[in-house]
Amino acid sequence: MRIKHKLFILFLFLATLPAVFSSCNPEACFEETNAFLKATFYSNETKEKKTPDSLSVTGIGIQDKLYNKQPGVQPCLLPLDASAGTCSFVIKINDVCDTISFIYTSYPHLISKECGYSFYHRLDTFFCKNDSFYIYKSSDNVTTANEENIRIFY
Amino acid sequence: MRKIFVYFISLLLIIDMQGLRAQDTVLFPLKIRAGFDLIGPGFYFNDRTNMNMEGFISYDRNEKLAYVLESGYSDYKYSQYNYDYNSRGAFARLGLDLNLLKPDKAGGKYWAGLGFRYGMSIFDSQTTAFKHENYWGETLSSIPAKKMFAHYIEVAPGVKTEVFKNFSMGWTIRLKMLLSGGGGKHLKPISVPGYGNGGRMTNAGISYFIVWNIPYRTKTVIIKPELPSEEDEEYEETDVSTGQQRIGF
Repeated sequence: MRIKHKLFILFLFLATLPAVFSSCNPEACFEETNAFLKATFYSNETKEKKTPDSLSVTGIGIQDKLYNKQPGVQPCLLPLDASAGTCSFVIKINDVCDTISFIYTSYPHLISKECGYSFYHRLDTFFCKNDSFYIYKSSDNVTTANEENIRIFY
Repeated sequence: MRKIFVYFISLLLIIDMQGLRAQDTVLFPLKIRAGFDLIGPGFYFNDRTNMNMEGFISYDRNEKLAYVLESGYSDYKYSQYNYDYNSRGAFARLGLDLNLLKPDKAGGKYWAGLGFRYGMSIFDSQTTAFKHENYWGETLSSIPAKKMFAHYIEVAPGVKTEVFKNFSMGWTIRLKMLLSGGGGKHLKPISVPGYGNGGRMTNAGISYFIVWNIPYRTKTVIIKPELPSEEDEEYEETDVSTGQQRIGF
């Protein structure tokens, strides 16, 4: 057998070994597993992006606050309840407070073998109880991707 | 004119004889092979949760090329802290094996080369339970069994050698690329029979085959003897001082 052939077979063997062994090793989950509704804040006057000085968000029926008078939040990440088709948040931007309700459908999505499944959502509609904020829908796909879903003008 | 004709014929004969001298022949047995993978059952005896059985038949087209049909069955179960999954089904691969060894070296007993395959799987994929946790609490759900169809391609380098008369052993490394995994964008199967992790576009695997060879015909193959390589030629140097030639071994 020519040296070139021997080298070629050796190269094939060595080149494929890392791929085989890497496929045998169990891997940890490093991916984002929660799909958040991403809300970006805008000024109602200038229509420019504007970060609130203070943001408080609480899910209706939940005691824990998602954000508690937190400054510099942009965008705001809102988790939706996969076991229900609707959920509501009390949102306080600076000193203005209102309740926003979201209506959506949820469906399972495989993140990876290592991370398992998550729920993605398709946003149908939303309501702002006292119309304190104007809300614009940019995308109805609520996934783990870094994609804006709504704009809140305050 | 006659002399020219004689010279021309002589020249043709010399050229032709040189050609004959540069050729040799070997008798190459063409075979039908049937093989069985040992790795799948080996893993199954160690861990009874996953079973993968596969085998192949191949038919030598000539001393370089063989047609291959592989098929198998897989029963896969996987559990981790947030889900339980199983998939069960059959797969088949069609393709070619190219022997990179020269016929005189291979002699129908040795194979070192590349295989190319097109694979397809038909299987049931089911997530019996999964758990998702976020701010609103824990959600438990399941995904019912669904019939899926996947197809993929493979490049499979490997080696095989005859260990007893008409029995060979050898390994094949499989580098696979998924063309379509079934399940759509959101519910890709965690395991595709014959392919592996359906969430990945590429996968690698290994098979270790025990093979039964059935010779069906002997082919006479013309081979060209290896020309001395440049290194050998350089080694055959002439001693200038004595005018003698030294030949190195």
